[in-house]
Amino acid sequence: MTAVVVGASSGLGRALAGELARSGRGLLLIASDLRDLHAVAADLQVRHDVTISTLALDLAREPDPGARIREALIGLPDISALLLPVGLSRSDDDFSLSAARIGELLAINLHAPLAIVHALLPSLRESHGSVVLFGSIASARGRGRNVVYASAKRALDSLYESLRQTHAPDALHVQLYRLGFLATNLTYGVKLPLGASQPADIARKVVARLGKGSFAHHLPRRYGLIAWLVRSLPWSLYRRWRG
Amino acid sequence: MSDAETRGFALARARLRSFDRQFDVAVSVQQPDRYRLLDALPADQPRIARGSGVSYVAASFGANAVSVDMRSFNRLLAFDMRTGLLCVEAGACIGDVQRFLLPLGWYLPIAPGHPRASIGGCIAADVHGKNPARDGTFRSLVEELQLHVPGRGLFNLDTRDSSGLFAATCGGLGLSGTITRATLRLSRPPRALALRRVLVDDLAQAARVLREAANAHVLYGWHDSRPDHFGRGVIHVGLSDDEAVAPAFDASPRRDLPAHIAPWPWSAWNRGTINLANAWLSHRWRRAGIEAMAVAKALFPLNDARRYFAAFGRAGLVELQWLIPHDRFDAFAAALGECVARSQPRIALISSKLFDGLPRGLAFDGRGIALAMHLPAPREISQFAFYEQVGELAVAHGGRPNPIKDSTLDEALLRRAIGPFDAIRAELARHNSGRLFGSELTRRIGL
Repeated sequence: MTAVVVGASSGLGRALAGELARSGRGLLLIASDLRDLHAVAADLQVRHDVTISTLALDLAREPDPGARIREALIGLPDISALLLPVGLSRSDDDFSLSAARIGELLAINLHAPLAIVHALLPSLRESHGSVVLFGSIASARGRGRNVVYASAKRALDSLYESLRQTHAPDALHVQLYRLGFLATNLTYGVKLPLGASQPADIARKVVARLGKGSFAHHLPRRYGLIAWLVRSLPWSLYRRWRG
Repeated sequence: MSDAETRGFALARARLRSFDRQFDVAVSVQQPDRYRLLDALPADQPRIARGSGVSYVAASFGANAVSVDMRSFNRLLAFDMRTGLLCVEAGACIGDVQRFLLPLGWYLPIAPGHPRASIGGCIAADVHGKNPARDGTFRSLVEELQLHVPGRGLFNLDTRDSSGLFAATCGGLGLSGTITRATLRLSRPPRALALRRVLVDDLAQAARVLREAANAHVLYGWHDSRPDHFGRGVIHVGLSDDEAVAPAFDASPRRDLPAHIAPWPWSAWNRGTINLANAWLSHRWRRAGIEAMAVAKALFPLNDARRYFAAFGRAGLVELQWLIPHDRFDAFAAALGECVARSQPRIALISSKLFDGLPRGLAFDGRGIALAMHLPAPREISQFAFYEQVGELAVAHGGRPNPIKDSTLDEALLRRAIGPFDAIRAELARHNSGRLFGSELTRRIGL
């Protein structure tokens, strides 16, 4: 069986690829730069002796990423899991973005997951596989920063519900992780209120729960409490919050 | 550049400190995790590559340079079990690489003491291992390498390179570009080592024992630093022994010496504790005998030295390391003994090794005996004076210093110790167009 990891060359995607390879799964790794993809794939092949395929795909510009992935899966063992740890945020995402920039953020954070899920759903249904989506604590409540990013991530909640609503739990495992801060190139050097989790720690938890039912969780779990507190703030207080 | 422009470039401000704690600078650090980020900074931005940051001296940072932290580039790219060739990215730690290779019947015969040293760092510093006379220095393992230079991108070099760039990169202190990957020639490790202890009464005798055991896998001496026992010690000779049953050894990464060791609040290495430690080590080691040792344990002796380094306190330590030609070594050792008797410096550790290579560039190699001394960072003028006396003595005896260990070196001393210093500097400058690459170390020694 093949697991597909979209955004596999760095951060959480790279960590997930490593964890999946360690567990002996064949992989189709997708990222925008072949140099990174080849390096990740070579490393996993050398260390774990698993079959790795790669596909270079620029999610910001690819009109039909799902079709490209479906083509890349031809000849590979059946797909058992689709993991979508893709995301792009910008520090100027505060109502000052151009339409092109908004489109880029939506393409990566929302259009790509939607299109890829649509394209691979029939195969995943056949294999009773897993779809793993990755949301963000940023979408707990809208605010003046991460405007487009949070909107897109909030929409993944809706995608998660749609998938669960239309599939019996034993027909398709649908999992949504709303992530807190991760130690990646996007947070490197940024002062964070709660510290950043290591992608490898998150990846271990995600892979351990792969194929074990449908659910939506915060990771790390403490972010569930934070999200609840933020959502519980009275509007009169929340609108004054500049955090 | 604005925050929005550099977001995702993995750029931050940080205080970086050399392993010996003699340099502590606030710098910009970039931590690229993908190839295109190597090109994210402006092409004229001064920079220097950084591996794990375990160099004794400030080789991977400088006040006006961005430290390009290569730790994410730590992947094994190709491994040929048949021929023993490994292609690996420059940020991989040598301890991790050895852990991967040893169960497969291969290893890197040359490894510095710190398991977190990066492959790129080992090449740029042309480090030596447990017996440089037998194995050479790290450059002898490098078949090919890949460099990144802003504006030129990535390009490959191998030993046939006629431009001088390959040679300048090995031991070039990172001045020719950022090493991104290397193909290394591996060796078959011994199944186990029989570590024989040979007692010596002084440094001159130690040199003779070292020369006689030149083919051992592991070969180094420990020497008493107390003035009244100066030079007395033991030579450890590790020979391959397939029959030996080495005690079980935990080689897991959690045992690795950390890159940053939290220092004790003050230096514990005063005259009393140094005398006690020397007496204890003398009692423990100064008895002839043989013990079986796992190869993994022999490769990284510093893993047991966490408290030793912490005990130098916040002020840290200084390592003096000089390679003295064979024909001058006895005279040097005698003069050094007199100097120690006169100055009574606090020396926490003295070790010796045999070298049998060619001195190339600024790399620490040649034919002779290397002496390394660890001293608590000085508070007394006499301790400062001792460094100068050792330097003068070594230069007078044809000695060659180790720039990647000794943070007391300066341009003037290097110029006196290394004859073709200016030619070496010119050659490095030829490959460092616009002085794009530089560190605190290269500034200090006038490169």
